[in-house]
Amino acid sequence: MDTTINQNTNRMPKKESIWDKILPRDYLWAAFIFTASFVSWLVYSEFMDVYEEAILFGTALATIWMGWYWRSFQTHFYTVTTITLMALWMYQLNGNEYAAQETNFFLKYLISSQAAIMWMTFFVLVSTITYFVAFFKNSDFIYRLSTFLAWTAATFGFVGMMVRWYESYLINVDYGHIPVSSLYEVFILFVVMTILMYLYYEQKFKTRAMGGFVMVVMSASVLFVLWYVFDRQAHEIQPLIPALQSWWMKIHVPANFVGYGGFSIAAMIGVAVLWRLSLEKRSPQHRLLTHMPSLQTMENIMYRSIAIGFAFFTLATVLGAMWAAEAWGGYWSWDPKETWSLILWLTYAGWLHMRMTKGWSGPVMAWWAVIGLFVTTFTFLGVNIFLSGLHSYGEL
Amino acid sequence: MSSVNTTTQSKTAPKPVKKPGLWIEFLGSMNLAITLLVMLSIASVIGTVLQQDQVVQDYIIKFGPFWYEVYLSLNLYEVYLAGWFMLVLLFLLVSTGVCVTRNTPVFIKEMKQYSEKLSLTALKHQPNNTTFTAAYSIAEQQSFAEALLKTEGYKTRIHQRSDGSVTVAGLKGHLNRIGYFLSHVSIIIIVIGALMDSNAYLRFAEIFGNLEAETRSVPLDEVNPNSWLTPANFSYRGNVNIREGRSADVLFLPHRQGYLVQQLPFRIEVEDFRVTYYDNGMAKSYESDIALYSPDYDEPIRETIEVNYPLYYKNFAIYQASYGDGGSLVNFNVHALNSPIASKTELESAINRHEYVNTPEGRFRIEFNDFQLYNIVPRDEEEAAITGRKMKNNGPSVLYRVRNEQGIAVEYEQYMIPNEQEGRWFYMTGVRSDVRDDFRYLFVPADDARTMDRFFNMLALVNNPNNAAVIWREAFPKPLEMDDRSYSMHLQLMQQLTQLYRQAGFDGITRFIEQNVPLDEQEAVASFYFGQLANALQSLYLHVLEQEGVAMNSNQDISEEHQIWFEDALTAIGALHRFGSPVLLQLTDFTLIQSSGLQITKSPGKNVVYIGSFLLILGIFFMFYVRQRRFWVHIRPQEGHTEITLASKDNRKLPETDAEFEAMVNKFKA
Ligand code: HEM
Repeated sequence: MDTTINQNTNRMPKKESIWDKILPRDYLWAAFIFTASFVSWLVYSEFMDVYEEAILFGTALATIWMGWYWRSFQTHFYTVTTITLMALWMYQLNGNEYAAQETNFFLKYLISSQAAIMWMTFFVLVSTITYFVAFFKNSDFIYRLSTFLAWTAATFGFVGMMVRWYESYLINVDYGHIPVSSLYEVFILFVVMTILMYLYYEQKFKTRAMGGFVMVVMSASVLFVLWYVFDRQAHEIQPLIPALQSWWMKIHVPANFVGYGGFSIAAMIGVAVLWRLSLEKRSPQHRLLTHMPSLQTMENIMYRSIAIGFAFFTLATVLGAMWAAEAWGGYWSWDPKETWSLILWLTYAGWLHMRMTKGWSGPVMAWWAVIGLFVTTFTFLGVNIFLSGLHSYGEL
Repeated sequence: MSSVNTTTQSKTAPKPVKKPGLWIEFLGSMNLAITLLVMLSIASVIGTVLQQDQVVQDYIIKFGPFWYEVYLSLNLYEVYLAGWFMLVLLFLLVSTGVCVTRNTPVFIKEMKQYSEKLSLTALKHQPNNTTFTAAYSIAEQQSFAEALLKTEGYKTRIHQRSDGSVTVAGLKGHLNRIGYFLSHVSIIIIVIGALMDSNAYLRFAEIFGNLEAETRSVPLDEVNPNSWLTPANFSYRGNVNIREGRSADVLFLPHRQGYLVQQLPFRIEVEDFRVTYYDNGMAKSYESDIALYSPDYDEPIRETIEVNYPLYYKNFAIYQASYGDGGSLVNFNVHALNSPIASKTELESAINRHEYVNTPEGRFRIEFNDFQLYNIVPRDEEEAAITGRKMKNNGPSVLYRVRNEQGIAVEYEQYMIPNEQEGRWFYMTGVRSDVRDDFRYLFVPADDARTMDRFFNMLALVNNPNNAAVIWREAFPKPLEMDDRSYSMHLQLMQQLTQLYRQAGFDGITRFIEQNVPLDEQEAVASFYFGQLANALQSLYLHVLEQEGVAMNSNQDISEEHQIWFEDALTAIGALHRFGSPVLLQLTDFTLIQSSGLQITKSPGKNVVYIGSFLLILGIFFMFYVRQRRFWVHIRPQEGHTEITLASKDNRKLPETDAEFEAMVNKFKA
């Protein structure tokens, strides 16, 4: 009897709560985010309305959760914070003059927003190449290097945005705004978000082979950014027009870019899937087949990124409608941007149904995801270029 | 995976009692749903690629008469209002409705179903399963299984079989299924909300009543009585411009190629309107102080609205949408350009009014169309580099048209204050005879006192051959060796050249020479003529300067500044023949009165749409991120020990599924 009781108590299942999974570094992280938000609130609360305070609070919680869910994000965020603070310190040392970015060595070549963004473009382009080299050579070392470069690109991009935020206030307090308002700014946001999302999947699914594919879209974006800077001086910080002076912007825009990011990743995985399928058909013994993850893994990543993209895109569209109701007087006006968001949304609603209810997979779904990227690009860029409407902020 | 999921579903779920009819089958089918989604997408693409609600002529020019008709019959110019588009939406509504009604009971059943009676063979066909033997008694195993599943968040159900075996079945994540229900019902809710806010009422009134759009722009009391809508209208979105200090209780709804007038159940007064600017000249804010007078309140509701910050009142929202001139008072000096004496008369008027002026050339109607307080324009790069500012303010301007007796109008844009260009100051007046053209500018140089007086004094002399002749006689006395006839011919030539120049500019003189002088002499004659003209005008100018009392040492010795002024004046006078009317208005004073463009919406469906949207998001997150999981523990007695079969099924196969199952198995084996 004794033994059984013993065994029984031994075997009593322990309730494994989330708190058991939280490490000391997670508490440190929470404390850090909390303090940072609290300090920002103390310093800036007089400039915020209640919605902005709510957004600050919400962002803090989401960031804490994000860091717990994905620990690498903590490291990333610490790095970004450190570099950003260094840039701000440099500005302080130079009398808080925007012009310091021309004179101070560190700012000019490294961490003023424009310099950081240029470094981001550089690292994106380089990591695209190294990811592909690693893919063809199946070299673990080069893969690790590529991952590091991708992280570096995301870090510089993130720093660029944070510093730009500060700089907009330096130019003129009136101009100050979070950098998610112009086409240029959202492109940076898009690149940073998508790289981070990709890196998450890379870790989660333990495959780096998709890196090159995803980075192709990032490279294209970055080339566009370069053209936009050198041909159109798009990086100049402009004040916000009245229609954009809204707290809705602060959540609508980032939510949208989680959507676009997810769809882009899915499309590029789709390309890889199609490649794999055609290789399997033509030469089943092909060396590259062993370099790729299994079809199932790829389709899984594709589903995952479409799911997160779709969820956030839905959120963004709804937020957009609510914002439109406040700024233009109607939650839906069939403005081209709105309409194309609907088209994009329906495109992926169709994809998800085919997969969930009919269990479709393989080339059709891969093609669908690839075509989805074209619809995404048109919604993101094409509408601004070819169609005019209420959303004409990001005109080229 | 879900294909597995759906097949097991149809196996485990009892069939509905009645087989659905063919129609229901069709309406609830995925194929129809996808077809509808595709049609909706295509319609949307058309709606954005083909510009909507344009003027008929534009379409005909673009597509040709044939395709114009084809597109018209498909209603492609108003896709989002087209009957077939509504039909697609309606079908989507029905289809989603059928789908939800058919699936929900099955899903609810499935949510409640623990499948605890599944046979051992069935368990061994689940995506994850394993069998092993253990030392504990059945009762111990059972209580452990229950406790473990509970701590893992499962709800459990126990099935005791007659052969002594026991199944503990666990289920968790039923929110996933609720997610399906929420997200699909929300589609229906959203479409209903959108229909509530559509213009269904107007279409109804058009078909069954006598509603028709007013296409003329006439005062309110002349608007067609059939174009009025009462406050009973269910939902609408329209605009009204209200002048500062005035109020309105109607809205204008754009409709077809005209508009409708909507009566409001309240009155809105605009007390003040303001625009503020950034230092680079971009608009920073548009604000109106408004007061809303409603019969339901004794006191008006006063609030300042701004872009992004409307006033909400009941089902209504009042937005800052635009602004314009509300009839600013404007004062002018009217200069007669052809007059032989410098004369100016004063004129008082207001924007949106018109005045008549009588001139020897006839009666002209002057229509004042707009007033701008600021004209902020970019500086050219050189200037920006010198001043360090990218933008500059050209000051107030007024837009007006001068219409002759034949009804032909020329449009002008006149700036009140002189504008600096390369250190010189000019009064600018833009001219165009077609609104599609850009303005061409007349630059009248300002004199030392920054007025136009010197210019008009000079112009009066140019216009006055008699006075000019006197001056020339004085300036160019007859040389002794010249006879009287040659001298008077010389003076006459000066007069003629001056006239020609005034009437047609330098080009006029060049043309005159080309037409009247043999080719081989043209060059010589031209240089002689231009020399004479220069002398003639220069002496008039010196006379003007003398009259003004500007100090000069000798006749020819004037300052460089004054010399440049002369050249600028010559350019201006030489361009006057293209000015298009014989009067130039100079804005001298104004009182700004603005009007605020308000957009007012009544949108009872808005909250319905918002609730629907909220449920949609919630549902989608549940569907994607709550996993529905089942876990079975089958315990079978064997001599001295127990045989345990564990099985699990996820409604989505995820990479972590296997690892999680493994962990559970280890806990059992521990
Ligand atoms: C605009 C209309 C619709 C939208 C946006 C929509 C959206 C969605 C989404 C996002 C999913 C989730 C897929 C997933 O779990 O990954 C889904 C699942 C599903 N939808 Fe729809 N849907 C629509 C209309 C319909 C219609 C008309 C039907 C019926 C024919 C339908 C039947 C289903 C079914 C059966 C599922 C699978 C539920 C499950 O097994 O979890 N949907 N829908």
